[in-house]
Amino acid sequence: MAKIKYIIFSWLALCLSYSSVQAKLFGAQSFTLDNGLQVVVAENHKAPVIKHMLWYKAGGVDEKVGKGGTAHLLEHLMFRGTSKVSGESFNEILKQNGVESNAFTSLDFTAYHHILDISKLELVMALEADRMQNLQISPENFALERDIVYQERKQVVDNNPSAPFTESLRKVLWQEHPYGRSVSGTEEEIKSLTLQDVEDFYNGFYTPDNAVLVLAGDIDIQTAKDLAQKYYGTIPQRQMAEKAKFTKINPNVAARLEMSLPQINTPRLIKNYIAPSYNTEKEDIYNLLVFSKYIGEGETSELYKDLVLEQKKALGISSSYDYASRSYGVFRITALPAENVSPQELEQAIDKSVKKAINKLNIDRINNTKDKMLSGLVYLQDNPFNAANTLGMMTSLGMSTEDIENIDEKIRHVQYQDVKKAANKLLSQMAVVTGILNPKGEN
Amino acid sequence: MPYRRRRSKSSGIMTNILKWLTFSFLLFGGCWYFYKQYLSFNPEKILSESTLKEKTFSSKPIEVISPRHKIKAYLIEENHAPIISFSFMFSGAGRASDNKNQQGISGITATMLTEGTQNLTSQQFKEKLEDYAIGISFSSNLDNFSGSMITTGEHQEQAYRLLKDVLTAPRFDETDLNRIKQQMQKAFLLQKEHPQSILNLKFAEYLYGDHPYGRNPLGKLEDINKLKRQDLLKYMQNHLAQNNLLIGVAGDITPETLGRVLDEVFGALPQTTAIDFVRNPNVDFKKSDKNIEFASGGQNISRFAAKGVSRNDEDFYPLYVANHIFGGSGLSSRLSKAAREEKGLTYSIYTYMSMAEKSPLLQGKFSSTADKYQEVEDILHREWNKFGQKGATEEEVESAKKYLLASYNLRFASVANLSEILLYMQKDNLGLDFLQNRNQNIKKISTEEVNKAAQKYFKPNGFVSVNIGSFTQNKEK
Repeated sequence: MAKIKYIIFSWLALCLSYSSVQAKLFGAQSFTLDNGLQVVVAENHKAPVIKHMLWYKAGGVDEKVGKGGTAHLLEHLMFRGTSKVSGESFNEILKQNGVESNAFTSLDFTAYHHILDISKLELVMALEADRMQNLQISPENFALERDIVYQERKQVVDNNPSAPFTESLRKVLWQEHPYGRSVSGTEEEIKSLTLQDVEDFYNGFYTPDNAVLVLAGDIDIQTAKDLAQKYYGTIPQRQMAEKAKFTKINPNVAARLEMSLPQINTPRLIKNYIAPSYNTEKEDIYNLLVFSKYIGEGETSELYKDLVLEQKKALGISSSYDYASRSYGVFRITALPAENVSPQELEQAIDKSVKKAINKLNIDRINNTKDKMLSGLVYLQDNPFNAANTLGMMTSLGMSTEDIENIDEKIRHVQYQDVKKAANKLLSQMAVVTGILNPKGEN
Repeated sequence: MPYRRRRSKSSGIMTNILKWLTFSFLLFGGCWYFYKQYLSFNPEKILSESTLKEKTFSSKPIEVISPRHKIKAYLIEENHAPIISFSFMFSGAGRASDNKNQQGISGITATMLTEGTQNLTSQQFKEKLEDYAIGISFSSNLDNFSGSMITTGEHQEQAYRLLKDVLTAPRFDETDLNRIKQQMQKAFLLQKEHPQSILNLKFAEYLYGDHPYGRNPLGKLEDINKLKRQDLLKYMQNHLAQNNLLIGVAGDITPETLGRVLDEVFGALPQTTAIDFVRNPNVDFKKSDKNIEFASGGQNISRFAAKGVSRNDEDFYPLYVANHIFGGSGLSSRLSKAAREEKGLTYSIYTYMSMAEKSPLLQGKFSSTADKYQEVEDILHREWNKFGQKGATEEEVESAKKYLLASYNLRFASVANLSEILLYMQKDNLGLDFLQNRNQNIKKISTEEVNKAAQKYFKPNGFVSVNIGSFTQNKEK
């Protein structure tokens, strides 16, 4: 689901923020097979385990209009069998071999992941390579799985009392841009999906030159090369379907959305800015990463100190910055107003506080922030399963392994003047939506 | 001769038929063999020809006892990266043992412990953690009060000093306490928004009544608002001591260093606790189900529970396997197959063993739209009763055991996992050699034992359930 992306991101931000200067972040290496499949390998020999991930650079945004949920339904059907292995055998073979297997779909990507004992790797590679080519969807399985994704939407989205708010916020901010869609699709969209829709998506996007294989764990680079070639190297490319066209956003959008919803017991405030991403303005992302850390990540950040500790207008406030997108990124501030402080009052206080913090920016403050971000990089070498997530996402969005391994260097070289410039540009020249969620019956 | 010829002719036919049969048998067999080996998907062949062979996670835990205060810890020395992780626990100091008039005190103390020390204000303390990339956190669950610390090798001495100060000289400033109280007030409001969260509260209440296990995990707001610095210090004095302390450590640290650190960090804690231990609850698993009407655009949610077993019970492993087969193994569990894979009625349905000290349970959960809900509930009852009566097949047990053996190494991926495992080995009295013996214990489990456990714990309709959603509206089938 789309959320996964943010989880991974906050994890990376956390690791970056936990901040020791190391020569390498992940120690990753990469190569590309003749058929276009990119492979990223991170060696970690602590335990005889590995995470195998296959990322397809296709997700919700690549669906046809009105066919929301296609990518996600396909993700489910990938567990329902191929012309060689039935769905039931697929799940049973993985279970018997101790493999933890799952998948997720976001607007940008679809990823299939397995964590397993190293001795089972070839089995997993064979199964994953098989379903890249030989997926077979029966009408019965299609109908069943469409019912299941409908139930999933009901559970994950519709049971959440604040979901109508977050779904509307997204639409207001992104308007016609494909990031305004929902990964699950609406109820009506899910019901309208056909087997043909899903097969078209599979045939159009599940081709080796549109995928990234990540292997992180107890493996050396040569074995990884041999095995990747053995299992994936012979898979032919397919004619790629047309991918999403990302429309230019209108930077003048400064929208407001207030909603009162049943079951909501306390107001909250959220400001979402469309922001540069690795794919729109590569160099600005490092400035904004440092800015987000400085202004709102953690309890030593400027906004927390000013609005929670000093002014006592909020009980919680934080910012996040997601630059890992195929199109634009998002900069976000979320806040929980203190008792007897209206969201509107808090909103004004936030705007002032942000300006104040930007004006205060100087070399010491930026160095202090950068030190915090860089002090814990060594943690990135701990858990190979986490490393796989980050490497997979970043490679899928187009980052080279060199760029990934050099994020720390880029951050080290960030200047306070550039942070200031990037922050001002973000706040004044990018589209924004301010959302206020209230309990039903209050305004 | 003619006779012979005739005979020979007929025997010739027979021979030919036999030859033909043998030939086609061999041909068919050959084709089948060829198909299995080279054309169909053959997991055994892939595994047997695989270049990557089985390995065992080789680091063995040792026990370290500190020289001065004789504080014990389990250690796995692991030098892959310069990282050290501590997991520790004060057993019996969890929220169920919170004073009746101070419900929530253990949780508040856990939060307040990272709000500074006598020498450092809350802000100074948090700055230090970030500057040195040290993570220190505390939490309290039903039974225990737990802490964790992670540090890089480079800043480890700083980390030990901070942890020591936190445990022996916490700040507990009035301003910080007030802020946490206000945040708690919001937490109580947020807790009653999502139907799942409401159900969790009602479920504990219905199962345990006025037993401390039935309390709101956040505590009581009135009680929390009355808490003062002195109360938290007293809580610590009575609950966090050397005699209920358990420690697991993993990472880049030698036994010698650890011995010294144990004395430094934990040596100043009081010797003994004064905890009001929690009585065993009386749970009536035969109680009628409870439905809570709740309007949402989503699904009905059901939680259910039957009696379970503690970690040291002789039924633990057999029930563990039984649960895996019934509802614990994801898409291949019996419940998932019946309700999800074959019918499309739900996105998730599963069971698990929960290990609360005074009330181990076999629990489960599912959710489905109101129109399908009854059907899933019927499937659950049908499968539960069938499993209790007939148990699992030999193949199912073998398959479950294979999973448990093959997935064994997955737990060793991070140092934080390792220290946590070492902590729980002590809490559950599994012994220092648990990791070496674990797979043998799994291999020993027989189908007969599993089915005895199935019969004993999956009693006919022997679970109680609490459900939230729309139960009165017209149900379309």
